[in-house]
Amino acid sequence: MNFTFSFTSLFSLLVAFSLAPLFMGVILKVKAFFGGKQGPPWLIKYYTLIKLLRKGSVYSTSTTFIFKLGPIISFVTAFMLLLFFPFAGLPPILSFHGDVVVLFYLLGLGRFFTVLAALDTASPFEGMGAAREVFFSALAEATIFVILALFFRLSGSLSFAEYFSGTQVVNLWSQSAALIFLVLIALFIVLLTENSRVPVDDPATHLELTMIHEVMILDHSGPDLALIEMGAFCKMLFYSAFISCLLYPFHTGSALYNVLVFNIIMTLIYAGVGLVESITARYKMDMVPNFILTSFALVFFATILTMEFVQ
Amino acid sequence: MNIFFLALLLIGVGGTQALTTFKRYSLMKTGAVLAIITGCSIGAVDAATRLLQHAEPVIYTHSWLQIFTFSLKIDAVSAFFLVPVFAISAIAALYSFQYLHDAKRAAGTAINYFFYALLIISMALVVCANNLISFALAWELMSVASFFLVIYDVHKKATRGAGYIYFIFTQAGALFIFAGFGFLYSHTGTFGFEALASIPDSAKLIAFILILIGCGSKAGIMPLHVWLPYAHPAAPSHVSAVMSGVMIKMGIYGIVRFYLLLEPTSVVFGQIVIILGISSGILGVVYAIGKQDIKKMLAYSSVENIGIILLGLGVGMLGAASGNKTMAAFGFAGGLLHVFNHSIFKSLLFMGAGSVLHQTKTGASNQLGGLMKTMPVTGRSLLIGSISISGLPPFNGFISEFLIYYGAIHGLSLHGASFVLSALAIIALAVIGALAAAAFTKFIGVVFLGEPRTANAANACEAGVLMGTALSLLAAACLIIGIWPYYFVQAAFLVTQAIPLVADYTTTDFMPIMTNISRTAALFIFLFIIVTVLRKIFYIGKEVTKSGTWGCGFTQPTVRMQYTGTSYADSMVDFFRPFIRVQKKYSGIEKIFPGKTTYSSHTLDTSEIGLNFFVVRPVLYLLSKLRWIQHGNIQLYIGYIVLAIVVMLIFI
Repeated sequence: MNFTFSFTSLFSLLVAFSLAPLFMGVILKVKAFFGGKQGPPWLIKYYTLIKLLRKGSVYSTSTTFIFKLGPIISFVTAFMLLLFFPFAGLPPILSFHGDVVVLFYLLGLGRFFTVLAALDTASPFEGMGAAREVFFSALAEATIFVILALFFRLSGSLSFAEYFSGTQVVNLWSQSAALIFLVLIALFIVLLTENSRVPVDDPATHLELTMIHEVMILDHSGPDLALIEMGAFCKMLFYSAFISCLLYPFHTGSALYNVLVFNIIMTLIYAGVGLVESITARYKMDMVPNFILTSFALVFFATILTMEFVQ
Repeated sequence: MNIFFLALLLIGVGGTQALTTFKRYSLMKTGAVLAIITGCSIGAVDAATRLLQHAEPVIYTHSWLQIFTFSLKIDAVSAFFLVPVFAISAIAALYSFQYLHDAKRAAGTAINYFFYALLIISMALVVCANNLISFALAWELMSVASFFLVIYDVHKKATRGAGYIYFIFTQAGALFIFAGFGFLYSHTGTFGFEALASIPDSAKLIAFILILIGCGSKAGIMPLHVWLPYAHPAAPSHVSAVMSGVMIKMGIYGIVRFYLLLEPTSVVFGQIVIILGISSGILGVVYAIGKQDIKKMLAYSSVENIGIILLGLGVGMLGAASGNKTMAAFGFAGGLLHVFNHSIFKSLLFMGAGSVLHQTKTGASNQLGGLMKTMPVTGRSLLIGSISISGLPPFNGFISEFLIYYGAIHGLSLHGASFVLSALAIIALAVIGALAAAAFTKFIGVVFLGEPRTANAANACEAGVLMGTALSLLAAACLIIGIWPYYFVQAAFLVTQAIPLVADYTTTDFMPIMTNISRTAALFIFLFIIVTVLRKIFYIGKEVTKSGTWGCGFTQPTVRMQYTGTSYADSMVDFFRPFIRVQKKYSGIEKIFPGKTTYSSHTLDTSEIGLNFFVVRPVLYLLSKLRWIQHGNIQLYIGYIVLAIVVMLIFI
């Protein structure tokens, strides 16, 4: 395992991690702009976290220890992703050939416990959310692994560090830009799915029946809910960073400049998510599989194209 | 070799003494269990040391009546399969001590122990058989022993039906294997294994396909898996644990062994196996999601895991045929390690399901719920088993799935059909993994979490101490292999060296990556502990209260409002039509003031319907035309025998 403990790597990780709640504020601001409202303050998510951390909790009498494990594991697994990710093209703190497979499986572990925690409450709503979550994520998982296969085909790499900070980088400015373009669209769809955004899920709705992720965490409160929120921020940060590293060749240029460009692109991606949420409505539940499978079709097509391109 | 025979002898003694002492129930059980556990432990330790110390293969031959030679050989492949055979059987025997508790059925229990011992012995002989005749003999012995184990509850009609289906499948499968053996014999003229590599390529393919069908029906490859969801729920739980954990792997052993013996060079072998792996894996897990009986669901999950194993072996075969070392070594090692891992977590899950069945008297998951509180040991062990079988880190299922991924991903550098199949294998693994998580969140969520749905579930209490010990041992094994996989991965790679291409594959080629995986798992556990402590700190001095689940404003929730397994599975099952069919019966609401309405749904197995329509019915029709041969007249039956011998003499 490559262990890089450079100041810049740690710095970029910390910057990204501490800005994650602010980025979420960007989405809210964009949505407010389209709604003709002033919207909540930019730092709303920080306030929410502090508020939650200061509270106590109410536990359902139906629940067991699994209900308390859910938030911890979903946060830890999402946080571990960040340790392996080269933010702004800077070498990550940890990396090894094959880490992508482990990391996406760790995300699966986080999901496993979130779902179990939801089922633990004996609530029909949360059961409904859990069933949708496992189904949709199974479809998204197929897309993710096709992307990994495609990247291996293009560059022979199998870790985030190799994708974005090695010698054989993959991004929109490399030889196979056309394929990466398809990957970008697919990844954006996966981002919307995995982070429960419109048009797959609606994080803002109060009608529990229409929700997936939000309804699963109905019974969590206090620091437990704060952990879940932070895990969700990490996950969103990871997917957005994944997309931004594909958009811009970060392996060249100075570190400080890259961090700046990276954060600008990140802001634009979050604003893009806000834009999508403002101008589209949530799909009917039975349309969602088709939406996710679109991403699968795109990357599978890209992978088949490599049969001619890469020989 | 002597230690091996000593182990078999002890197991055999344990089984036979049960038949003589069954009048004293506890004594009989104690004697049988102790002897079987001792024998199995000796055998397992011997096999494991043999494997890890690279012991030279030992051969034992015994010529019988000048007709054939009974020959056994323990090499790395045999030793690798012997470990789970002995280890899992020992733990299942420990479990059975409290599971079989009906003193009124002393004779039945004694017979069960006898055939249980016979099953262990025959499985050990299958993996050590060193010529076609010995293999066939041991294989049949195994089928017969397992058949009698399945029909333990012979007074129940469903069990007799299950036994019948199992018998037909196992014998039809054996017919294919024997056809394959006959075909091989016609080319080599000897029963020995040595000459098999020298037969022509086309003959290799035909023989391999015949053996693949035969072994596949034992292993439960889709669409030959039909017997599994019948036999496993019918058999006592320790038997289903051994059958599903170990015995179906004998089918995999047959495929691996004959692949190694035939030394094929064509990519077709790998391609066939990958395609079978994809279909068994994905459809197996979809049916597992669709089934609501816990043991049926676990049976389908075995079909899924056989699919994963085949994917690994297929990737390995494809790599070996294309000269891609990484692919061959990792694919094979992953498939073999998954054989070992699956034997652990599947026997854990079956025994756990047995405890649930034992305590609540029902296997229908929609009538259970909330057992985590009343059966904590069973619940926690099964939680670990469920995470492991979903292939999630830091447990053992992930290690083997990772190896297969790694092999398949390196297969992407191939061209044409091999590239497409490698890509499909990766996608299939990803989808299987995610759907397995869905199936097992359903299993844990519906059976162990939430509120009990019936009085039986509410009044359940923890099963016996020995049953709990067996479960805890297996659960601990899942975690240990997940965090310290070195020895186990090394063992799998040692077996892989039997393939000529990767014979020089050394520890340095795969250990670095295993170290990384193990460190990542350790890092996860480290962060988990830190966050748990932090969470505790944040709760110091806070008000923590208990209340009912938030019903979104509804104040009169009942347990029947919980999401059931059926509803949890509905959208996923619906997505996979027409491969899976659900029969729904709904009486509907007709009047303004509706009366009683009923709803029932039932998941149908498409392969079963297909086999029934295309195979069973035509065969039955044909056979009914031949009914007149059977008339019960002994003289004429003897006449048939004489006639058959005369006809054969003319032809040979």
